[in-house]
Amino acid sequence: MELEHLSARALAAAIRAKKISSVEATQAALARLGAAHALTNCTLSLEADEALSAASACDRAIAAGEPAGALAGVPLAHKDMFDRVGKIASWGARIRAPAPATQDATVIARYKAAGALQIAALHLTEFAFGPTGHNYVLGHARNPWDPTRITGGSSAGTAAAVAYGAIPAGLGSDTGGSLRLPAAACGIASIKPTWGRISRAGAMPLSPALDTIGVIARHVEDLALMLGLLAGPDARDPAASTLPVPDYLARLDDPVRGLRLGIDAHVIGSAHPDVQGMLQQVTKILQGQGLVPAACRFPDWQTLDHLVQLTQMPDCSAAHAAYLRTRPDDYGPQVRARLELGHFIGAVDHLTALRARGSYLKRTLKNTFKDIDIAILPIFADPLPTIAELDIGGGPTLQAAMARVVKYTRPINYLGLPTLALPVPRGGGLPNGIQLIGRPHAEAQLLAVGRAYQREVAPEIARPLA
Amino acid sequence: MPQQSHDAERGPGPAADLSMPPERRRAAQAHAAALAVTAAKVAADLPLGADVDDFRRILTAEARP
Repeated sequence: MELEHLSARALAAAIRAKKISSVEATQAALARLGAAHALTNCTLSLEADEALSAASACDRAIAAGEPAGALAGVPLAHKDMFDRVGKIASWGARIRAPAPATQDATVIARYKAAGALQIAALHLTEFAFGPTGHNYVLGHARNPWDPTRITGGSSAGTAAAVAYGAIPAGLGSDTGGSLRLPAAACGIASIKPTWGRISRAGAMPLSPALDTIGVIARHVEDLALMLGLLAGPDARDPAASTLPVPDYLARLDDPVRGLRLGIDAHVIGSAHPDVQGMLQQVTKILQGQGLVPAACRFPDWQTLDHLVQLTQMPDCSAAHAAYLRTRPDDYGPQVRARLELGHFIGAVDHLTALRARGSYLKRTLKNTFKDIDIAILPIFADPLPTIAELDIGGGPTLQAAMARVVKYTRPINYLGLPTLALPVPRGGGLPNGIQLIGRPHAEAQLLAVGRAYQREVAPEIARPLA
Repeated sequence: MPQQSHDAERGPGPAADLSMPPERRRAAQAHAAALAVTAAKVAADLPLGADVDDFRRILTAEARP
């Protein structure tokens, strides 16, 4: 059994059926994660002893015939920004919480309830505030396909570890593209659900108005399984949606034939020609699955991009205001410069962006989605850059360079819409990805399209290209 | 000392108490000014009753699960 190729769902079934023990699966995952870390710097702390002890307990429970959760005994690892009892999350930063957490983040608790194990805490951009995987405090993450290239960020470690096959899936978060950019850069999939679909309780806040927790995985079926486990109301997060959670797994095989795929030629026209070519290639594959391309038009893209910055920057800066005054040198140069920026945005402008958000969402649904079901956009505007190309610290080119990286991701956070990231066929080259954007809470539809896509474009394990 | 030169450049205004080199302060001011132009245009079209909670209401009302 080639464990690194298995989905979490398949691995859980094998453990339940006693074809493999959780201890064996965990030992193998720890070994692969060690190799992945040597290549990519994806791990911040390896938790081998705890994980093996939990795996052993799981094996005993299964042997005793006790009921097993949907992920019983499956080794996972997550971006190191979630509270876990007795631990201090690194937040990818020097500045950390003053005391260990006394309660698990809701997503961690829900994974535990399903029987999943956590074998490590994974790399992230400092405070999850950066789209490339650069981290000037804890070291940059490196891409498993080509270690000179960026992993994308901020959920860099999860993407690198999943792409390498160390773990089948893991948690990330997305405030301006942090689930989609690393998935694209590492050639895997992710789901950024509708804002509020998954509770953020116990997750490090960056910009609460935009923060969205989601999952990175190689297999779309794992995204469906895990979204179903993690979504739902939570008294600890008043923004968590109380809408019923669909059975995403059961709906994976919903028909996709006839769904209209929206293409905004104007917005896509700013992407590098190679990226536009990738988008056409994916569109053709989806056409082969029965989707029907149709023209659509988003609201003015630059206005959306400005509105999301007006929302995000003061939100982030407010959270860090005290530390930025008392411990400025404990921040890396990029995060420090970006946190400073929020202090220059007026309260009226910030509130204008927040007050206009409903209006822009309504306009998008009424106009952009009038004749389509799903929209397709690039994730990166350009082919995958090197770490050196974007190693610009807090210098004068920072804002423009970051704006180019998040050009296609950040405006979607303003609209709060669900987004599925899928890898483009590599053809032997570097990875990249596209995003499918749905109406509010239409994750099941997106996942069904993703499942159809993976019938044609199978998940891959990342190894350095020759 | 660099700290003193930053202090001399601060003056009144937003973020006056943050220690920033002058070129970064100017860049931040220029960036915020560009965003403020968009905010003004958007505000001009926004009804008085627009509310920050409209967004959440619409996400729920328009749900397509």
